[in-house]
Amino acid sequence: MSYEPKLVAFLCNWCSYTGADLAGTSRTKYSESVRIVRVMCSGRIDPTFVLKAFREGADGVLISGCHPGDCHYHEGNYKALRRYHLLTPYLVQMGIEPERIRLEWVSASEGNRFAQIVDEMTATLRTMGPSKVQATMANYA
Amino acid sequence: MNPQRIGVYVCWCGSNIAKIVDVEKVARVMARIPGVEVSREYKYMCSDPGQELIMKDIKELGLDRVVVASCSPRMHEPTFRKTLKLAGLNPYMLEMANIREHVSWVHENQELATAKAINLTRAAVHRVMVHAPLVQHEVPVNRATMVLGGGITGMTAALRIAGQGRKVYLVERSDELGGRAIGVGRAGPHMNSVAALLDNLTTRVNDSAYIDVLTGTVVGEVSGFVGNFLVRLANGTRELTVGAIVVATGTQPFDAKKLHRSGYGRFPNVVTSTQFEEMAASGRFTTESGKAPRRVAIIHCVGSRDSETHSYCSRTCCMDALRFSNILRDALPDAAIYQAYSDMRAFGRDAEEFYARTAERDVTFLLFDKLLPPTVSEAPAGDPYPLLVTMDEIATGIAIEVPADLVVLMVAREACSDAKDVAKLVSISVDKDGFFIEKHPKLDPAATTTDGIYIAGSCQGPKDIPDCMSQAGATAARVLAAITMGKVKVPATTATVNEDLCVGCQTCISVCPYGAVIYLDKHRVSRVEEVICKGCGTCAAACPAGTISPRHFTDNQVLQQLEGLLAAEEG
Repeated sequence: MSYEPKLVAFLCNWCSYTGADLAGTSRTKYSESVRIVRVMCSGRIDPTFVLKAFREGADGVLISGCHPGDCHYHEGNYKALRRYHLLTPYLVQMGIEPERIRLEWVSASEGNRFAQIVDEMTATLRTMGPSKVQATMANYA
Repeated sequence: MNPQRIGVYVCWCGSNIAKIVDVEKVARVMARIPGVEVSREYKYMCSDPGQELIMKDIKELGLDRVVVASCSPRMHEPTFRKTLKLAGLNPYMLEMANIREHVSWVHENQELATAKAINLTRAAVHRVMVHAPLVQHEVPVNRATMVLGGGITGMTAALRIAGQGRKVYLVERSDELGGRAIGVGRAGPHMNSVAALLDNLTTRVNDSAYIDVLTGTVVGEVSGFVGNFLVRLANGTRELTVGAIVVATGTQPFDAKKLHRSGYGRFPNVVTSTQFEEMAASGRFTTESGKAPRRVAIIHCVGSRDSETHSYCSRTCCMDALRFSNILRDALPDAAIYQAYSDMRAFGRDAEEFYARTAERDVTFLLFDKLLPPTVSEAPAGDPYPLLVTMDEIATGIAIEVPADLVVLMVAREACSDAKDVAKLVSISVDKDGFFIEKHPKLDPAATTTDGIYIAGSCQGPKDIPDCMSQAGATAARVLAAITMGKVKVPATTATVNEDLCVGCQTCISVCPYGAVIYLDKHRVSRVEEVICKGCGTCAAACPAGTISPRHFTDNQVLQQLEGLLAAEEG
């Protein structure tokens, strides 16, 4: 079977998850690669969640929350942004290419945008090939 | 751990899911996961027979947790939580997998869609294994209300609440009630007396046995939470305990000095709409020289609908400008009256008719493009009138100069300069213009995202008197509905601290957007005030010790979900 990337998307309940629901109700088609995890706020996304996703075999991780200024909890998305900037260099140090993680703001009305981001990321992951995290972990086991 | 008894229910949603996803296969794969007692598929899980199927299994098979793979939890999570509750299970022992909006409606490849549906449902099964029952608490509500702002809106809200026999503290910063309506003579389009309205409201407020009027009073600090606020007044003499707070702090007029082209502050015969109200109240219309004006130019949108100042429409100035024209015409039958406007916003009942009637009274309307507003300058020496209003009149396409001896600027209404301080005081948000943001513009326009804090009137955005009074009534009804029950439900999905492991670093306190975490000096640990917490979980993402955790979105629950989500393919 050809390589099918596994993309884990952490979406906030109020904007991005609702945006993904809208893609559904609008019947907007996108890649099957994405598997969505709902959190109440992008500010809830603990860096551990991202590491765990890669550890369990994800080829890419998408973090998505409300646009700046639109956070249901005032400013959780800004915290997500800061944590993303702290996490990315750390991932690179561990040998995870920076293209495998993305942070995007998707509002509840941007179903098409969500679909487009998933397709873009899937195309990138497909050209990159599978993440080496699990193989590397196996060497140390 | 006790052996778990999970029921998995995969929904066809008619053909919505079943057309793309092999629902039988999903159910078959789930049945093989240890802990899954029963795994079924059914045409419509949300239908009565579907829900009865779940309830029957819970009772007969002794299920202790349930997974429903169907539509978005934003759609039917409340439905299935109720199903569990009816069958005697804690409603939080449910997890849903969204295989419609996130699978069957967005994918076309049946094989890949089915594999994805299996992953999502397996993730839900792994997650539900570590769910815990949660309890929704109720806290008692103090039935008194504080209304902040003693203008028309605040007084109306106070009277409506007091009308139900509930205590109101009406707090006004200045020394008298009335707010911005003080000094306004009449209101368009019917030219009713505003003074009479104010007199009526003020008398009733002062006479009410349920309203405590606190003029000349500033609030220093607000603490507590819905149903139980503690308000410390700035002079330190008094503390109020209230269950709800209505913010009705109104607007302030735009400072026309900020717009050089308006001429305000440079030429004595340029006045603002506020100053014109004073002239109208006194009945004496004079220019600087003490004579009655012979040519009056009224300029619209000064500080409104303008990229340099405020982009929004202030909503009330068009009608005020029409009213001013009528007042002038009554007082000065021979004066020339000009209105320089860019769009006449005469909306609502009788307003357009008022505009038409005004136009019949020898008022000249001059149209400008809002991108090219008029400029006020000093007339050359020797001209009969001291001022010149220069503009491109776009109805005729001619650049014109209007000589005038009085220019009236219809200044914008803007958020009060201390609106941000008020917002901070009661933990609500302001928009880009400084107006307070409602919970939902249509579904809940009188409430805010902070429970127990309500807004009314033009502090939410410019409004005329009828709109302010209508919203004051709506806000009062919203407050009464909240306090009458005497208790309020607190969400169950709040954060909680494991105080045995907390190191007292207070990181959670620094990131909480609601001030919901307090530090217990004596025990050197953090504790969550559950009635304030909204369950966003950012404290958990920040806690270096992993000891604070939002219920229902714990680290373990998300990590288990990820394991299920990414587990190797099965049959």
